[in-house]
Amino acid sequence: MRKIKEGSLFVLSYVFIGIMVLFTLYPTVYTVIGSFKTNSELTLGRSFFPEVWHVENYVQAFVQADFLKYTWNSVFLSVSVMVLATLTASLAGFVFARRDFVGKKFLLIMYTSLMFIALGSVTLYPIYTLLTKLHLNKSMAGLILALVSGQASNVMLTMGFVRGIPKELDEAATIDGCTLYGIFFRIILPLIKPIMAVVALFSFRHAWNDYITTLVMTISLPRLRPLTVAVVQLKYSVNAAAEWHIMLAGASIAILPIIVVYAFCHKQFIGGLTQGAVKG
Amino acid sequence: MNRGEQISAAKRKRIIRENLRSYSMLLPNLILFLAFSVYPVIWTLRFVFYRYGGYGASVPKFVGLDNLVRVFRDDIYWKAVKNTFVYAGAKILFIIPTAFFLALLLNQKRKGNGLLQSIIFMPTIMSSAVMGLVFYLLFNVYNGQINRYLMDWNIISQPINWLGKQHAMKTLVITAVWGGVGNYMVYFIAGLQQISQDALESARIDGANKLQTLWYVTVPMLGPILKIILMLSITAAFSDMNSVMVLTEGGPTNATMVMALYGYQFFFPISAGTAITPQYGYGAAVSTVSALIAGLITVGYLTLSKKLDDIY
Repeated sequence: MRKIKEGSLFVLSYVFIGIMVLFTLYPTVYTVIGSFKTNSELTLGRSFFPEVWHVENYVQAFVQADFLKYTWNSVFLSVSVMVLATLTASLAGFVFARRDFVGKKFLLIMYTSLMFIALGSVTLYPIYTLLTKLHLNKSMAGLILALVSGQASNVMLTMGFVRGIPKELDEAATIDGCTLYGIFFRIILPLIKPIMAVVALFSFRHAWNDYITTLVMTISLPRLRPLTVAVVQLKYSVNAAAEWHIMLAGASIAILPIIVVYAFCHKQFIGGLTQGAVKG
Repeated sequence: MNRGEQISAAKRKRIIRENLRSYSMLLPNLILFLAFSVYPVIWTLRFVFYRYGGYGASVPKFVGLDNLVRVFRDDIYWKAVKNTFVYAGAKILFIIPTAFFLALLLNQKRKGNGLLQSIIFMPTIMSSAVMGLVFYLLFNVYNGQINRYLMDWNIISQPINWLGKQHAMKTLVITAVWGGVGNYMVYFIAGLQQISQDALESARIDGANKLQTLWYVTVPMLGPILKIILMLSITAAFSDMNSVMVLTEGGPTNATMVMALYGYQFFFPISAGTAITPQYGYGAAVSTVSALIAGLITVGYLTLSKKLDDIY
């Protein structure tokens, strides 16, 4: 009796997991496979796979819909944000963890409290006007800075990690005549690589997937648009109803690179998430 | 005397130099933080008290509490607040139990569970705006796959208007569950891994079956982490707006308008092609009240859960 009960529980739990896996995968698979179909196959057809695999959808997206440019924008934007965010956050995290300086307590309180103020996307307007005043509103540089934005959570993440490294290492290096920058680049940096990887991945994902910040900053500058904004704009194009295949090709171009990154770094993505959250 | 002064001067010089060194490393981050995180908050809080933009008010004019009074009389805003609560409530209600059971099942050391975890986490790495567009196509009334499948399987006879007034909120919640369940599953798995194996082992030795162990050992021991997870899910649900923006644009007729998006549309148009008359001051007031509401919910939840802790 008990065995039957446990057996059915086992089956039930795998049915549940199966449903969840299907639910999770379906929209992604639909996007990628759909990107090879014709528009009428998408809007009227019933078959799961396309009759003929229309690779030319991608040619059309890349060339006619200008996705080659948007892809380049996305790559350039995300890589720059990643590098800048990781470097600035790890420097700041190191200073907060190791140094004593005037105003440290005040700044720490400011960094932490800002994480709890959720004013949302309205803050994009003052950011936009600020970039305009600095004459950065018409270039990729402004976009990059707005997305790096000195994110407090990244600083906290690296600060926590540096605190876990024995202080004796820096002290020994100081005695040996190492400068502050020497300590950071030669001693700390090699040791905080795991957390830097997490910050790098998260900021790459943040920039690659961002929609609202880039939308607002590129409202009058289509040439700076990244993939996310360009794909969603297709919804508002005049022949949207006849361009489902282009939308899906565009969507695939936007999601496949990050899926590839995820395939290689899923451990860091999943591990990094809990490093910051559950510890606290 | 003279000597002491000299030392202290040298010492002061050294302290200043050390401070400058620290700041030289902090500055790159600090400047960005001040410019793009702190300044916008101060700007927003200031313009709560100004009329700026709209009605020909191109120059900010101090109006005291007028904007806040208007927020409290704005029916559409309170509809958006109600919608936000419905959305957040439904999202959390579906996501937390689902994520918990997934974590429970996939935390066991069995071949393939790692892969299953990675698959279920995958939506969290994709752009919610892009996938919002995909869901928009999937839920399309006449051409979408969802209605086609449901009709082919004879579950429905008429196509459902998933983005219509009646169902749009459900569609948004489904999309949100899709995008968020993996995230909370990972939080739960982290929580489960902190539970000591000894406690589970001793329960087993005492003759508890799997369900009893789950209810009397695992769930109580997850308590503190559950609290954090719920808090994170509340904050996230209150600030969601990407998929709303792409899928329904807050419509039809504000049926899915949420607090975050309502504040946004006083600054920028929700969709390309629509023209707006910006009302920066009023938008700032709306967003500030929304942030306060979200903050109050979080604080209220924390006090409540603390009270419950004292009782049990």
